Amino acid sequence: MSLALSVRSLEAKIGDLQILKGVDLEVPAGEVHVLMGPNGSGKSTLCHVLTGKDDYQATGAILVDGVDVSDMAVDERARAGVFQAFQYPIQIGGVLLGELMDEMAEASPDAAAFRARTAAAVETLHMEPFMDRAVNDELSGGEKKRSEMLQLAAVQPKIAVLDEIDSGLDIDAVREVAELVERLRSPELGVLLITHYSRILRYMKPDRVHVMIDGRVVKSGGIEVAEELESSGYDELRKRFGPRPVDEEDDFLADL
Amino acid sequence: MVSLKSHPPIDPTLPTWIADLQHSAAAALADLSMPSPKLEEWRYVDLGFDVGTFGMAAKGQPSSLDIPFRSEVGALAVTDGGIAELVNELPTGVSFGSVRRSGEDYVAERFGAGIPGGRDVFTAIHQAFADDGAFLHISSGTAVAEPFTLEISATQSGMISLPHLTVVVEDNAEASAIVYFTSEEDVEAVVLSQVEVTIGKNSHFKLTVVQQWGDKTRAVADVAYTMADNATGTFTEIGLGGAYSRIRFDAKLVGNGSHMEIVGAYFGDSDQVLDYRYFLDHIGVGTTSNMFLKGAVEDDAESVFTGMIRIEEGAQKANAHQTNRNLILSDGASAQSVPNLEILANDVRCGHGSTMGPLDKDQRYYLMSRGLDKAQADRLQVKGFFEEALVKVPHQQIRDELRIAINDKFVAAQSEGRV
Ligand SMILES: Nc1ncnc2c1ncn2[C@@H]1O[C@H](COP(=O)(O)OP(=O)(O)O)[C@@H](O)[C@H]1O
Ligand SMILES: [Mg+2]
Repeated sequence: MSLALSVRSLEAKIGDLQILKGVDLEVPAGEVHVLMGPNGSGKSTLCHVLTGKDDYQATGAILVDGVDVSDMAVDERARAGVFQAFQYPIQIGGVLLGELMDEMAEASPDAAAFRARTAAAVETLHMEPFMDRAVNDELSGGEKKRSEMLQLAAVQPKIAVLDEIDSGLDIDAVREVAELVERLRSPELGVLLITHYSRILRYMKPDRVHVMIDGRVVKSGGIEVAEELESSGYDELRKRFGPRPVDEEDDFLADL
Repeated sequence: MVSLKSHPPIDPTLPTWIADLQHSAAAALADLSMPSPKLEEWRYVDLGFDVGTFGMAAKGQPSSLDIPFRSEVGALAVTDGGIAELVNELPTGVSFGSVRRSGEDYVAERFGAGIPGGRDVFTAIHQAFADDGAFLHISSGTAVAEPFTLEISATQSGMISLPHLTVVVEDNAEASAIVYFTSEEDVEAVVLSQVEVTIGKNSHFKLTVVQQWGDKTRAVADVAYTMADNATGTFTEIGLGGAYSRIRFDAKLVGNGSHMEIVGAYFGDSDQVLDYRYFLDHIGVGTTSNMFLKGAVEDDAESVFTGMIRIEEGAQKANAHQTNRNLILSDGASAQSVPNLEILANDVRCGHGSTMGPLDKDQRYYLMSRGLDKAQADRLQVKGFFEEALVKVPHQQIRDELRIAINDKFVAAQSEGRV
């Protein structure tokens, strides 16, 4: 069994603020893993550190399909197989989604195959009308997420990190995204799906669920981990692993 | 060399309306010299040349057009001030050609009326020496969809040329023109051009200037619009070339409900200086204006934008907006952006905004996370930056050619390691 992603003792800080405090995580190829955790626990930071954003000083090992990417620049990591679907996709005024997909094709090892995958995904995701519109500009939350999923399908990465791909979506759109993730499952792809609600899990079958509290993965297990969280919230885990007193308003159940 | 102090005797064969202009401009010229950067209108720039060391160019006799877009209905070439009508399939109601050859009264009235000859040494030289110009006249009720084109070029190093265009659009009419400014890379010419546009009631005129002077040409352009009731004027400039290229633009929104739309995109490299001075005067009731300019500079280039919107006392319900966004692509490059409002009426809506900075980091991160290398990401970001202005270029048939010209310029900077 090859590992799409293997993260060991990953720490990251921004200035003096330590956000990731030693993350260990493995996602085998062919599996879909879920990472849950309260707001501010470091999930998006993990995504950006995996993607190689240079705002963070990071230490530790990041292996993608066995290759250490931790010294690679953002674009090299992308070409090595890291793909992030952004929680807040960046708007690029004046650049059409179709143009971006063309440039991505040019940068990919096989432009013709990339274009074929793009064409297929444009059809399944009903993205035709968006190809002539600017990237993430004046799109609804759901449309932005579909645009990210289109790019994911075209890129065919080794590890796809989907940061809150379900947030801001109505329930039909959440189901649609979940089904898409299931459809993208392949023996060559590992998926790390980050969410802070469990509702998306009703429509998919993750292989494993991890929980992040205060910059560490503190619990991993099967779908039952998510079910426990749904009934009891993060409080118990936060008491054991978190740095600060429990804040009722930030309770997991309040999000449902 | 031109003597700025003693004008040669005025050619007795000139029509009186040109001779009179020459007379008064020559008198003004005697007291003028190169403008000092202490003057507000000339602040921020070092002109880097003395117009008094240049001679007056002999007029060219153009016989072909060398521009990406040429009109099917009417195209002129103006080489070193010499005018040739090279496409002449003019629709009824349109005259387009040399002022001198036309001999029409309405031309005589308008020629030189839009720009004060004694405003500075350049306008004075222009009016003291220019003895011909192009004119475009659109009669009442005439609408022409196809743009007219002019190729204005300079070919003589060490020489001054004085291209002139007078546009008169009568009432209830509609027309447009594309002007290309061109010179070869090594031509050290000075071009002092004037464009004056008068738009009648309910009429619409659109002018797009594609400025592609060679890198040693210095150009000072004066452009003036005057608008009647419910007239709409559009002025667009794409500034790419020139050692020094300036546009001083004046619009007088005299007519009630008149509207002025200004779009600009400019990109300076090496030690180019691109200098824009916009003056909009809202005079009529319910006049509106929109200014939207995007500029980039790299290497040691400099750009200047000053925008002065003046709302006169009687110009109630005026609505005026100006936006100038700047991309600074190299440490040695600089941009000035000075939007100004002077409001004398009390029931108006005005707004201005200007920004300045490098390429956006978050956009670069996002694009690179898609596998694009930095150079590819930068190109896409620059494209996106200018696109917002290019989609507003009213002549959509030339948008692609402008996109390519801008991209080529940026790619050259990348391949030479300047950005
Ligand atoms: N660029 C940043 N600058 C300062 N603090 C940051 C930055 N990015 C994240 N943080 C902080 O790190 C913590 C984790 O944030 P984040 O990774 O976005 O959490 P999550 O995605 O789990 O909600 C938060 O306290 C957040 O305020
Ligand atoms: Mg987050």
